[in-house]
Amino acid sequence: MDALGGLATGFAVILTPGNLYLCFLGSLIGTLVGVLPGVGPLAALALLLPVTFTLSPVGGMVMLASIFYGAMYGGSTTSILLNIPGEAASVVTCIDGHQMARQGRAGAALGIAAIGSFIAGTLGVVVMTFFAPLIAAVAIRFGPPENFGLMVLGLVCTLFMISGSTIKGVLMIALGFLSAAVGIDVVNGRERFTFGSVDLSGGIELLAVVIGLFGVAEVLSNVETMTKNTLVAERIRGLWPTLADWRASWMAILRGSGLGFLLGLVPGGGPVTASFVSYALERRMSRHPERFGKGAIEGVAGPESANNAAVAGSIIPVLSLGIPGNPVTALLLGALIIQGIQPGPLFMTQRPDLFWGIVASMYVGNVFLLLLNLPLVGLWAQLLRIPYRVLFPLVLLLSVVGTYSANKNVFDLWVMLAFGVAGYVLRKLEYDLAPFVIAFVLAPLLEQSLRQSLVMSPDGAMILVQRPVTALLLAASAVLVALMFRRKARIEGGS
Amino acid sequence: MFERILNAFWVLLGAAAASYAWTLGVVGPAGPESGLFPLIAALIVMAAGIVLLLRPADGALAPDFPRGAALGRILGVIAGLLVMAIGIPYLGFAVTGAVTMIILLRTVEQTNWGASIALALVSVLVVTWLFGHVLGMVLPRGPWGW
Amino acid sequence: MTRIAVACALAAALMAVPAAAQGDPKAELAKLKPKDFPSQPIEYTVVYPAGGGMDVTARLLAKFVEKWSGDKIIVNNRSGGAGMVGHSYLATQAKPDGHTVGVLASLVWGDAMLRAQARWSLNDLEPIGYLNSDALTWVRQTEGPYKDMSLQQIVQAAKDKPGTIRVATVPGSMWDYIVEQIEAASGAKFLRVPFQGGGAGITALVGGNVDVAQGFYSEFRGHLDGAKVAPLAVAAAARMDFLKDMPTFNEALGGNEYLWQVVRYAVVPRGTPADRKAYLGAQVQTAMKDPELIAEYKKQGVYFDPKLATSTKLADDLATYIEAERQFYVKTGRLK
Repeated sequence: MDALGGLATGFAVILTPGNLYLCFLGSLIGTLVGVLPGVGPLAALALLLPVTFTLSPVGGMVMLASIFYGAMYGGSTTSILLNIPGEAASVVTCIDGHQMARQGRAGAALGIAAIGSFIAGTLGVVVMTFFAPLIAAVAIRFGPPENFGLMVLGLVCTLFMISGSTIKGVLMIALGFLSAAVGIDVVNGRERFTFGSVDLSGGIELLAVVIGLFGVAEVLSNVETMTKNTLVAERIRGLWPTLADWRASWMAILRGSGLGFLLGLVPGGGPVTASFVSYALERRMSRHPERFGKGAIEGVAGPESANNAAVAGSIIPVLSLGIPGNPVTALLLGALIIQGIQPGPLFMTQRPDLFWGIVASMYVGNVFLLLLNLPLVGLWAQLLRIPYRVLFPLVLLLSVVGTYSANKNVFDLWVMLAFGVAGYVLRKLEYDLAPFVIAFVLAPLLEQSLRQSLVMSPDGAMILVQRPVTALLLAASAVLVALMFRRKARIEGGS
Repeated sequence: MFERILNAFWVLLGAAAASYAWTLGVVGPAGPESGLFPLIAALIVMAAGIVLLLRPADGALAPDFPRGAALGRILGVIAGLLVMAIGIPYLGFAVTGAVTMIILLRTVEQTNWGASIALALVSVLVVTWLFGHVLGMVLPRGPWGW
Repeated sequence: MTRIAVACALAAALMAVPAAAQGDPKAELAKLKPKDFPSQPIEYTVVYPAGGGMDVTARLLAKFVEKWSGDKIIVNNRSGGAGMVGHSYLATQAKPDGHTVGVLASLVWGDAMLRAQARWSLNDLEPIGYLNSDALTWVRQTEGPYKDMSLQQIVQAAKDKPGTIRVATVPGSMWDYIVEQIEAASGAKFLRVPFQGGGAGITALVGGNVDVAQGFYSEFRGHLDGAKVAPLAVAAAARMDFLKDMPTFNEALGGNEYLWQVVRYAVVPRGTPADRKAYLGAQVQTAMKDPELIAEYKKQGVYFDPKLATSTKLADDLATYIEAERQFYVKTGRLK
């Protein structure tokens, strides 16, 4: 069935009171869950999975999917207001978003995040509507060499994110690699850097790291200079993005949408990677990269759009092929399986009502989320007027629960504390923390894909050149690195 | 001064990690072994640390570390998080959370007793309800069953 | 809040169903219920991330246990370290007061024998009920140089051209072991490409990045229906109901050592009071008799091992399987 016919079917399915209600409910829950620091779509989906047993397959899936992308809307809220990532895909939003909040521009940041998310989410679904089978056929061919090429490109983008001293940035990236190595080596099952500890054998939990480095470290920084009446933002200057903001952001939103969608498609990609790479891209493309880190609105618009587009991208492999690319889509797949449905190449033709119903629900869900989030902007901005001395204990409490929600392991709280103190100290010494986090996220995938590729290949490393997509990605990375050095040389030569 | 200590720390950390990574095996019959990537990363850390140590100390970077009351506040926050991490397995989330919040509200920036206790109780109750009941998460319980 | 509302609606709907749902099993179960138990929701611990096969199994079980016993069950994922973190938690940290039940896969045996290193042992986890079994299956593409080949032909090809046939494995587990066995018995040599799980390997197969993948029926069913993969053999004692044309490894290669299944069962930590343990076991067994649950499980492509499904001494019957696995480890030098 062609795309428009399918959409018609889908809308017929979704535009019933029951399904609309579930879509709205999922959007609401997703937003809420995104706002809560640490608790992300994965936790929410896992916890709400039993509820879907009592619903029809369409209803259940619509609700779960809307929670997924709803969380991408809500995740930016605490990132912007309190510098605590709502969930891992909103970490980069902290960097410039919170600075904007401190300057009283939380409203603009929140508004751009919501609208950018809407545009990106909708664009993503449009592409999904018309090109899903084609895209799926291409995505399935992505094997370890292609993944490696992509991860290298992502890592090179990380180099662009280094503000300040390059040496310190590279050191942070290397530390990210080291930290990611703690745990079980996927390729041969051996334990690395665990020193006999069972807790460490699971690796260091990403959520504990980001909540510590960004949330707790921020609290420590603020607490150092606070007084009885400190507020996060002294004055709220306007609640909506200005025209200047729009001019700055619209390209970022479009680029973020495209980038996010593509990165969402790839296994191991998804909203988290998409947000990082988008931020790096925006810095690279900006005429004034020094504005980043001080409240550049593109640093909010790009990543927030990217993580929403990535949701659409990551759902395509699940629905078209039955292949989950990240833990959240794995859970969506599990939900379908529990309902007795096995998505796969035949899913679209065997259950058009379900497939197109989900697609149509994504259009509707994005609209719901825009309508939900925009009016809340004013409300959230008021949150910043609570005296900090009352706010920060609450922030810490939420940080603890959010971190604990990842693995239900108290050990993660120690990790959070350790990274919180480390982050505080490192910030004082002018180390940029974002490269560490990106390297920490990308390193396992990069290492795994390279080693898998080398094992697979009869010619050793030549496989990286023999496969066209991989060669292309690696060449692009090399070009970017060269460009970066040329730029640095020019800047340093000129000053 | 502190910066030099940190840079030295990087060198030591890099060296220790590199030697551990070496024992994991670097290259095997099937290509890289478990130790290769950590070894490279550790060597980079070491090299970066050495470069930073060798740089002339630019006086511009004199990090102001907190003293006096500020230091007290920082340590208060850290202590609060320590209490949570140590206490939760034994006393459960609800009690530890409430106690920690009261401590933080009182000591870090003297909110009065009444408001502190009220705020702590309300916050813990709301969080427990939100996560424990609405989201169905299992929060640790104390010996008194909640 | 809505979750409670939906649960209330569900409860109301259940109560409205005529007495067919009520009756002996519920009453029997209620008779075994110890006093003052449970005083909080019972946690079903799953050591793998949400959405995976084990998770699905546990959630289905919890749904039916709730139905028959009326107690509240929460499924909790304590993931990490390929199950190691959760297994250690159950064996060493979980309070043995009956409020924690582990829903495990027999991969815990490998963890206990090879990786626990005297920190804990299988004696710390007492089985209370058998759920189902899933047998490892080999699949190949429907395109490419190996299409239309049978298992014997592929093994022969691996002998003729050693190190060229790419098999997706999960290092350090039965995915690896069966390849070892085949190589040892036939002199073939496969090229093992490591992945994090069976599903990732099957993805790679469909994408043409490996030649043979290993996994469970639920992982490749969609691709099977879409004619992208074809089954080769299953590592069980008898053929599977839903793939009657697929031989077992023992049939195809001759021998009786190619038996690799995941056995799923429920445990409680050692030291749980006997009456609570009996009640929890009865809950599981009652749920396992529900034809609806059996049908749901069957949809996942699992099968019910006849010996374990009717066992009255589950721990002893499991012990025979555990011993067989231990023998394999000793024979291949992994254990002294």
